[in-house]
Amino acid sequence: MIGSKSLVKRNKGAMAWFLQRLTAIYLFVFLIAHFVIMHFVGSGEVTYGTVAPRLSSPLWKAGDLLFLIFALYHGINGLWQVLEDYIRSRGLRLFLYSLLLTLAVILFTVGAVTIFSVKA
Amino acid sequence: MKRKFKIFRYDPEKDRKPYYKEYEIEIEDGWTVLDALNYIHWYVDGTLAYRRACRSEICGSCAMRINGKNRLACKTQIKTLGKGTIKIEPLPGLPIIKDMVVDMDPFFRNLEKVKPYFIKYSPLPEEEQLQTPEERDLINEAAMCILCGACTTSCPSFWANPDYLGPAALLKAYRFIFDSRDEGGKERLEIINDRNGLWRCHAIFNCTEACPKDINITYYIKKLQNLAVNNQF
Ligand code: SF4
Repeated sequence: MIGSKSLVKRNKGAMAWFLQRLTAIYLFVFLIAHFVIMHFVGSGEVTYGTVAPRLSSPLWKAGDLLFLIFALYHGINGLWQVLEDYIRSRGLRLFLYSLLLTLAVILFTVGAVTIFSVKA
Repeated sequence: MKRKFKIFRYDPEKDRKPYYKEYEIEIEDGWTVLDALNYIHWYVDGTLAYRRACRSEICGSCAMRINGKNRLACKTQIKTLGKGTIKIEPLPGLPIIKDMVVDMDPFFRNLEKVKPYFIKYSPLPEEEQLQTPEERDLINEAAMCILCGACTTSCPSFWANPDYLGPAALLKAYRFIFDSRDEGGKERLEIINDRNGLWRCHAIFNCTEACPKDINITYYIKKLQNLAVNNQF
């Protein structure tokens, strides 16, 4: 019988599993908030004029940035878990892993530029 | 009553490819699939190969795929299988030795990895070690496993990757890690906290559905995942 003291030191999948769930919670809450704000609060009109002021507030920028990071982590990690199930050759794994990381960096850059450049 | 059986046949020494052979036999009320296999083997076709021993759901030898589901032949009443032809195949995901006899070595090798025995470092007690009913409750269900292999061979993660420990080995790890008398929990958790261990379980629940002992295997794997994550902090 073991207690809940820190016994496991190396990261061998536990963290990825845990973060997948943690990010899922954020994505879920954020999605609901998005839905409510876009469709039930305010005029319901979706134009630059109504959206830009909100997106230019620092709080929203922070929330969006977090969303971007978490969504990317969640998606890329999920894909990686699936690939790890089926692909067992080391070379192919390394290649796909780099591909996913590159994809993440590109998507993050595009997303971050969008978030930071919004002005009211 | 006559029933038809469509049975997987393969002898790697003779056959180029596996095939199915049909047998129609007269069955009696109350027969299990194992009774039918015995009948076929004894009176119709002596070349049919399958494993069996206790015929009372405790040895775990006769696990096979019956109408697409992993189950024990000795526990499966023929009358619960509907009206049509009954299809019998070996457990999936393991090398076939002959017909329904599969090579269980990969299964038992995975089991060995989690040290499926009591580990005691403190001096051995003079008398038997008692558990409270609460302590026993933690492991009671998990300790019912008869190592039939129905769970691990129904698991898509195991099919995709035979290095995955699989539900049976993880359940065994749980059975000892959560046993109040055992002292090897730490080393076992180190072993199963691995990308080919705990984290290959994606909660598909096939194992839980297959288990002839009705053990809620997925629940126990989740308990282990919980423990492993808590130990990260
Ligand atoms: S957990 Fe159930 S299905 Fe798996 S080996 Fe044990 S008895 Fe068989």
